[in-house]
Amino acid sequence: MTPVRYLAALLIIGVTVAPLLFVILGGFRTNAQINSDPAGFPSPWVFSNYANILTSESFWKFLGNSALISFSSTAIAVGLGSMAAFALSRYRFRGREALYSMFTIGLLFPLGVAILPVYLLLRQLHLLESWVGVALPQAAFALPVTIIILRPFMAAIPSEIEDAAVVDGATSLGFFWRILLPLSQPALVTVSVLAFITSWNGYLLPLLVFNDPANFTLPLGVATFQSQYSQDTASILAFTALSMIPALLLFTFAERRIVGGLTGSVKG
Amino acid sequence: MMNTRTMRKYVAVGAAAAMSLAALTACSSNGESADGTTTLTFWHNGTADPILSIWQDAVDEYEAQNENITIDVVPIQNEDFATKIPLALSSDNPPDIYFNQGGGLLATQVQSGQVADITELTSDWIGDLGAAAGNWSVDGVQYGIPYASQVVGFWYRTDLFEEAGITATPTTLAELSAAVDKLKAAGIAPIAVGGKDRWPDAFYYNTFAVRECGEDVLKQGLADADLSDPCFTRAGQAVIDFIATEPFQDGFNGTPAQQGAGSSAGLVANGEAAMELQGTWDKSVMQGLTDTDLNPLLGWFPFPAVEGGAGDPSATLGGGDGFSCTQEHAAECADFLEFLSSDEIQTKLVESQVVAIPVKEAASAAITDPVIKSVYDFNSEAAYVQTYFDIALPTGVGSALNDAVANLFAGQGTAESVAEAVAAAK
Amino acid sequence: MSTSSAAVATSVTAAAGAAAPPRSTRRRSKLRKRLELALLLGPASILFVGFVFMPLIAAAYYSLFDWNGFGPLTDFVGIDNYTRALGDPLFQGAIGHNLFIVVASLIVQLPLSIALALLLNGKIRGRTGLRLLVFTPYVLSEAVTAVIWLSLLQPHGVVDGLLENAGLGGLVQLWLADQNVVMFTLFAVVTWKYIGFGIILFLAGLQGVPEELREAAAIDGASPWQTTRLIVVPLLGPTIRIWIFLSIIGSLQLFDLVWIMTLGGPAGASTTMASYLIDRGFRRYEFGFGSAVAIILFIFCFVFALVYQRFALRRDTQGALTGRVE
Repeated sequence: MTPVRYLAALLIIGVTVAPLLFVILGGFRTNAQINSDPAGFPSPWVFSNYANILTSESFWKFLGNSALISFSSTAIAVGLGSMAAFALSRYRFRGREALYSMFTIGLLFPLGVAILPVYLLLRQLHLLESWVGVALPQAAFALPVTIIILRPFMAAIPSEIEDAAVVDGATSLGFFWRILLPLSQPALVTVSVLAFITSWNGYLLPLLVFNDPANFTLPLGVATFQSQYSQDTASILAFTALSMIPALLLFTFAERRIVGGLTGSVKG
Repeated sequence: MMNTRTMRKYVAVGAAAAMSLAALTACSSNGESADGTTTLTFWHNGTADPILSIWQDAVDEYEAQNENITIDVVPIQNEDFATKIPLALSSDNPPDIYFNQGGGLLATQVQSGQVADITELTSDWIGDLGAAAGNWSVDGVQYGIPYASQVVGFWYRTDLFEEAGITATPTTLAELSAAVDKLKAAGIAPIAVGGKDRWPDAFYYNTFAVRECGEDVLKQGLADADLSDPCFTRAGQAVIDFIATEPFQDGFNGTPAQQGAGSSAGLVANGEAAMELQGTWDKSVMQGLTDTDLNPLLGWFPFPAVEGGAGDPSATLGGGDGFSCTQEHAAECADFLEFLSSDEIQTKLVESQVVAIPVKEAASAAITDPVIKSVYDFNSEAAYVQTYFDIALPTGVGSALNDAVANLFAGQGTAESVAEAVAAAK
Repeated sequence: MSTSSAAVATSVTAAAGAAAPPRSTRRRSKLRKRLELALLLGPASILFVGFVFMPLIAAAYYSLFDWNGFGPLTDFVGIDNYTRALGDPLFQGAIGHNLFIVVASLIVQLPLSIALALLLNGKIRGRTGLRLLVFTPYVLSEAVTAVIWLSLLQPHGVVDGLLENAGLGGLVQLWLADQNVVMFTLFAVVTWKYIGFGIILFLAGLQGVPEELREAAAIDGASPWQTTRLIVVPLLGPTIRIWIFLSIIGSLQLFDLVWIMTLGGPAGASTTMASYLIDRGFRRYEFGFGSAVAIILFIFCFVFALVYQRFALRRDTQGALTGRVE
């Protein structure tokens, strides 16, 4: 079976990676090269496309905007979500399951479904054109996944630990902050990475919230760049390649957490 | 790796810092800074040269003359405007100066309450822009100004016509069909159309309607958004019949109009299609998509006559490009628009062939290309110019009309579909 | 708190709440507990209700009006927006396109993911690297994916070029311009993006299928196919159910890819419910109508999730949606 396995592996890698390679290599060609031989190698290698974009203000601005929004939205989602998961996992109170169900209902419909009324709400709150107008809704819609992953994790921490903390004079919140959270670190990293990636890759909400190109996030910037410079294929490919880097970097760091976290909730 | 607590502290501090930074920048976002400079945002659709540079140069010159004004230039792809303007007018910070084609499109935008009434601010000089300015007024109030007029006709490759053995430009529908056949026989795509963007499809319906309908019926129908007159149905049928002769390039339903070498403009520019029914801006778009000098290769002829049509045979479809202002900096905007309407800039637009029919008479002297001159003369002699239907109608109705025509191009619908779609969208 | 709580708390059942304190302090700690709960649950609940529930309720209200988004809501039209949307051939087509993606994902992506996961489940050198590479498209944004494939699928572009070089020039289509082909093209791009996710998910699920079971079945004379069908797949049940859930919810709200690659065209051949919503609601200033479409889309998701939870996920005691924590 092994040769078949290797063949399958190679095929999958090929199909998966080939388009990305094309994009990256395409940035090193000129438009003339691309037009005459779409699937070929750069010859000669041209660095100006990448250089122009790396020295352009807009690319870094998009990157910075995405970073600001994603870090904030993640901090809010994980911060608020861990507190809620703590309450939902280690406190007993009437209506606990109902409240939990309320959060899980949020899984049923992603931001895309609610986008129109969310936009109108943001308009009312004067949060359009502001990064807050993107970070808050993204955090809100990240709460269900965050809570669903954190709650069983927090619940599984033995009560003896909590009791020991109580004996030592810790308050519940002290226990939360000093013991539970550090113990939950693996799950926290997972939900942080998930929330971050979802926020980073968001396109629709920034599309509707931002008019001023200076505020665009990276995916929105890529799409706008493609539309504006539609005949400059080489630049578009270079821009796209560069915008893939942050996501890929984050993924290499956090791969185990993402995959582990997702499959962890599958296995239970 | 640092422990969770320290990490969370960093995140919290970072978020707080970010928020305070944002708060600071938010404070100064109203366009006026401490030293008294006003910043205006200027949205236009000239994403490619030569027009990109013309606007940029104009802005640079204006800023040099007006030290307290800074203008942020934002070129936006034409097709993206339909998404971005409604969003901008719905927000707190619409652009101060933005590209606008007038008509019912403008009327819909005016409902947002954000478009500025510049009647007073332009009263001194708007008369110089001629009758075209009327298309940028709603109920007698001036909400914008034009910088170019346009007509729609067939741009064609003289070399490809020669190759196919076509000796005279078609003047009737029958002659057009004959030309299409000759081009097909020569292995050349007869007509390129940018079906993906839908409005190029609508040009066909609109022009057939201009041919079939008398002037009064036409104008009344559009004013009431009521296309129930039988002449519109005849126009619909004419479109269906025309499509049935298969005059278009392969994959015409997915071809964009102006974006990239694969667009309908690009196809004609690169000699892969012989004709395109487009507006006067198209020559400059085509030139931007190829390195070959198109001046000796492009010709123009008006949409052919249609037998039995009630419309005046010299009437034509057309419209214009212009700008509007929003409330916050209306005065500064109007001043900038006056500057943009100068004879110098009008002349530059004409010389670069971006504009064939300037609004200022004086600039027309700069037309050197005989083909463009013929277009200019045609416009002067036209019985009347009917604005593109999707611009003449309110935005929602206009979009519905474009979609209905696009459906005809995709093989769906009947001769009455367009009228029905308009009635449903009202 | 007191030492008696420590004694009480030696029970073995997994902790789900604080142990009961003695009666004398209960009242004070009850108030304190309420305050703590308010502090812990309040912010998340407010954010969630504010940005997820309130908008939906607002949308339900707006959907009853004909409203261009500016000024007050004055033009009450009742369920007119709903009937117009459901009666619009373009929207009907959009629903059909979403359903096509749903069904095609189930028929194509699910078996393919499982099969590939099975194939890759052995000890292959560089397995971690493989996981990394396969998962990469999932990490990219849909917007970036759309721009990439828009470039690849250009007429006479890379895909066409490769097919012709391989002698398969006859297979070249107008990938995004042909009404009959465009949805298949979009599905192919969706598959490219999400197949890695499926493979990884099922690889993890397969960790829960004991090797001994398979060996025992082989000893009993079962063929590999029988083993797969009768043992492995049923044991992958929980994983499959979660994959289906995520896949369907994702399919129902497909937007970014469509908007950037085709804008719903040509002639509405690739419109999805979400792209229809944005086009009508935002580009045409029809906020009341758009709200109705949003509610319809929400009902689709909600009904699906309810039905699915009832019939499919019931059996998973630790399943996230049943929410019971033992």
